[in-house]
Amino acid sequence: MARYIGKEMSRVDGVAKVTGRAKYAAEFRAPNLAYGFIVLGTMAKGRIREIDTREAERAPGVVRVFTHLNAPKLGPKASTEYAPPRNTREQDKSFRALQSDRIYFNMQPVALVVAETYEQARYAARLVRVSYDTERHTTDTEAVRGSARAPSQGSPPKPRGNPEAAMKAAPVRVEAEYRIPVEHHNSMEPHAAVAAWEGDKLTIFDKTQDVYGVRAHLATSFGVPEENVQVVSPYVGGAFGASLRPNYYPALTAMAARELKRPIKVVYTRTQMFTGHGYRPYTIQKIALGAEASGKLTAMIHQAVHNTSAFEEFNDNTTGFTRQVYACPNLLAPTMIVATDLPTPTWMRAPGAVSGMFALECAMDELAYALKIDPLELRLINYAETDPESGRPWSSKALRECYRLGAEKFGWKDRKFEPRSMRDGRLLVGWGTATGVWGAFQRPAIARITLRPDGTAHVTSATSDIGPGTYTVMTMIAAEYLGLEIERVKFELGDTKFPRAPAQGGSQTTSSVGSAVHGAALAVGAKLLTLANQDASSPLKGATASDVEMLDGRLRLKSDPSKSVSVAGVMRLNNLSEVTETFESRPSPERQKYATMAHGAQFVEVKVDPDIGHVRVTRAIEVTACGKIINPKASHSQEIGGVVWGIGMALQEATEIDHRYGRIMNPNLQHYHVPVNADVHEVETLFVEEDDKVVNPLGVKGMGELGMVGIPAAIANAVFHATGKRVRELPITPDKLL
Amino acid sequence: MRAYLPDYNLRAPRSLADALDLMAREPGVWRAFAGGTDLMVLLEFGALQHKNFLSIRHLPELRGIEITPEHVTLGALTTYTHIQRDADVRREFPLLGAAGRETGGIAIQNRGTLGGNVVNASPAADSPPALLVYDAQLELVSASGARWIDYRNFHTGYKQMDMRPDELLRRIRLPRATGDLKTYYRKVGTRKAQAISKICFAAGARLASDGRIKDARLGLGSVAPTVLRCARTEDVLRDRTPDEATIKAACAMLVEEIAPIDDMRSTAQYRARVAANLLADFLVNLKK
Repeated sequence: MARYIGKEMSRVDGVAKVTGRAKYAAEFRAPNLAYGFIVLGTMAKGRIREIDTREAERAPGVVRVFTHLNAPKLGPKASTEYAPPRNTREQDKSFRALQSDRIYFNMQPVALVVAETYEQARYAARLVRVSYDTERHTTDTEAVRGSARAPSQGSPPKPRGNPEAAMKAAPVRVEAEYRIPVEHHNSMEPHAAVAAWEGDKLTIFDKTQDVYGVRAHLATSFGVPEENVQVVSPYVGGAFGASLRPNYYPALTAMAARELKRPIKVVYTRTQMFTGHGYRPYTIQKIALGAEASGKLTAMIHQAVHNTSAFEEFNDNTTGFTRQVYACPNLLAPTMIVATDLPTPTWMRAPGAVSGMFALECAMDELAYALKIDPLELRLINYAETDPESGRPWSSKALRECYRLGAEKFGWKDRKFEPRSMRDGRLLVGWGTATGVWGAFQRPAIARITLRPDGTAHVTSATSDIGPGTYTVMTMIAAEYLGLEIERVKFELGDTKFPRAPAQGGSQTTSSVGSAVHGAALAVGAKLLTLANQDASSPLKGATASDVEMLDGRLRLKSDPSKSVSVAGVMRLNNLSEVTETFESRPSPERQKYATMAHGAQFVEVKVDPDIGHVRVTRAIEVTACGKIINPKASHSQEIGGVVWGIGMALQEATEIDHRYGRIMNPNLQHYHVPVNADVHEVETLFVEEDDKVVNPLGVKGMGELGMVGIPAAIANAVFHATGKRVRELPITPDKLL
Repeated sequence: MRAYLPDYNLRAPRSLADALDLMAREPGVWRAFAGGTDLMVLLEFGALQHKNFLSIRHLPELRGIEITPEHVTLGALTTYTHIQRDADVRREFPLLGAAGRETGGIAIQNRGTLGGNVVNASPAADSPPALLVYDAQLELVSASGARWIDYRNFHTGYKQMDMRPDELLRRIRLPRATGDLKTYYRKVGTRKAQAISKICFAAGARLASDGRIKDARLGLGSVAPTVLRCARTEDVLRDRTPDEATIKAACAMLVEEIAPIDDMRSTAQYRARVAANLLADFLVNLKK
């Protein structure tokens, strides 16, 4: 009996991945392929005075050296309306390579050397000589925070109530400033493209979270109809937001391929990845919280400033979720941006949310200590029973149960309130908690299902699988509603030849594409019912689509499974070799009546070595409520990954910039630290499932980002509890604790 | 950006004699390439200035662990994995095993050599502090002979060594009878593994029956232009009981003796503070 939803399922693409059969962008080949190597500039702002490519051109195997002097101009860029979360953005002004002599940031591409082999291109790239007219640059957000401004697009959020007056009147106040450095995604797979033209038709293999976004971008860049461009991206080795927008390299690769009339491959080096896509912006947050002595919040003022580039606005919406976490009548929560001579930031796992909640949830902990109220209790006192922003009811919200379950599993009641009050030998022990939030987004998506009489199905939708297990979950959903064994269902994604799906970002894929697959499966059933009922003797006579279901090759009445027809039989009778249905799912109007969010509670234990200031996260319990869990195995993996990333963000990750040169000092994994296995101890993830048919027919909410949202704050709070020291600047490196 | 490989020469001499002969004929032209775990990093960043290398990894004269009543002698090609696996080394020289475990990941431990760790002369290396504590001696060989020198005098400045261009490090010799030496090893990095040290601290000491410190040895990494044997601090400790006053005096001297800097990995202030904290921790535990 084929029933899959809610059961542990190993990845359907697992074998392909571990045997190397799964092909990533850089692994595609084409006849007569040439290789491009990107040359990076060495100063932060100004113009290219002279660029001498003669020596490079004479080097063995070099086909051509492209610079702004000989590279064709690209057409206007399309807006990437599919990039989540739905922040308002100005018209697309994203950086494109070799379009002028202007230098906007250090390590900006200034040339592309194309040669017969990768090694030849890489060698010749060293021979390109560039001189610059330099201008004064600014890469330090701290130095220019005074000129921060509201993003030009979208209306600035209105204050709620009268926050200033309420803050003044508050019996208890805390106010503090928090900082988050620039951080980079650092997926294992480097970004890469292989581009080949046939006439004015382009095929490009790309690492992307959004094949349709890249297609629109390339079509306008080269002035060809969208249908002339095929973007293929079957496997992505992590992206985390770094491939939501088209980066500069696909157009650069396609440009070279078009000019040279042969296929070209370009692969970023690890170093090139640090300016080849966006990053989490440098963020300064000032928070003031006002409360009554009982702990009830009376005023929240949360002001964020983060950097953007000099040529483009990016709004991380750092303070967005602050409006919806706690019940508070008076609130002001603007996010401001300030220009720096760095590349444009972009969405990075849990964008805005993990940054904003780091500050808010640390400030809540500070308030708890000012009030002498247990930090968990303070959160319960201010529990938002309805959405504080819209006043609408939640479609579902099991956060209270998350707090309860997490506290019980963790043993929170044994926590001693005072900082430095718990020890393990000579180690200082700290327990911290924080809340996590994320949206329950859904966007329009289309899926197509072809069912054959032999009981196999082919399912397609042009979404992506950057690692969460999309191949698996879509196969499960299709198998569930087609009533087939999972081995009989093949799901394909990552290709513009498949129906349109939104970018894989914002934790919206299962809700959006899953709903489309679900809808397409039901449409197949409905079609079969219509066909079956053309036969006067059909046992399903009089039944409507909602009365029937498919299982084990039969279409049957839900209320009386003995009444059924053979699916293959119906198709044979109608001379059909297959039944194909395409379904577009859309967010239901019902959602507008509710506020829809996913929530979580985190409990963290740290042990701090007082001699060296080293923090170990010895225990983390994360309880999340994000609707229905389709595949518990992949879901736990997602949340564990979120916790690990949270450990990295809290304790290790920082892109260091030498502001004298405006240059990144650690563009490599040797010096950009992410956690190693030895840094990760006990991690337990739990789900409180919610039955929520408002969000979408499958009842799923976003969870990929949610898993990390509260972790940095919970760790920082635990560090305070252990040491009595409040570190408000991430990462919490040993130096800051001594 | 990665260097251009055809710019480089790598030769594999048939024997140690052949290697030394070549180095004698063309002094300064040829440098040894053993595990390559430091050199390949430079190559990848396009920062490997030297162009001509002799691959010595296959030379049996540089391999093996030899034990005599007085010494344990380690071939320069002894890897971090070897020193962790050899039962005798592990028992008699636990600081070396600890250093081996803390260096890089498994692949680096399999390939990286003790000799390379010494002659790469990084002040942040993890095995040299242990070698300093064990009073290691180095055998340098050339076509014109061999000489033994005390390791503590080997590093003469940042990346400077008492070693001629025609010399190779053949063996590292450790005096035995370390049995009653109480040892202590801490490597401090931003994360628990695969991080270059913010500070590396190795120490050993003997307590006499009257509770006085007989033989204090302190080897530190990442606190000065070279790895450092902290002789002046050892002098403070000699013949004193490890009480509060002694610890205070020793820590004060240690902070004076080292010369840490600010860099991307840490600050001078942190390094000085932690060096003192680790010394105090070592001394407090000495009594237990």
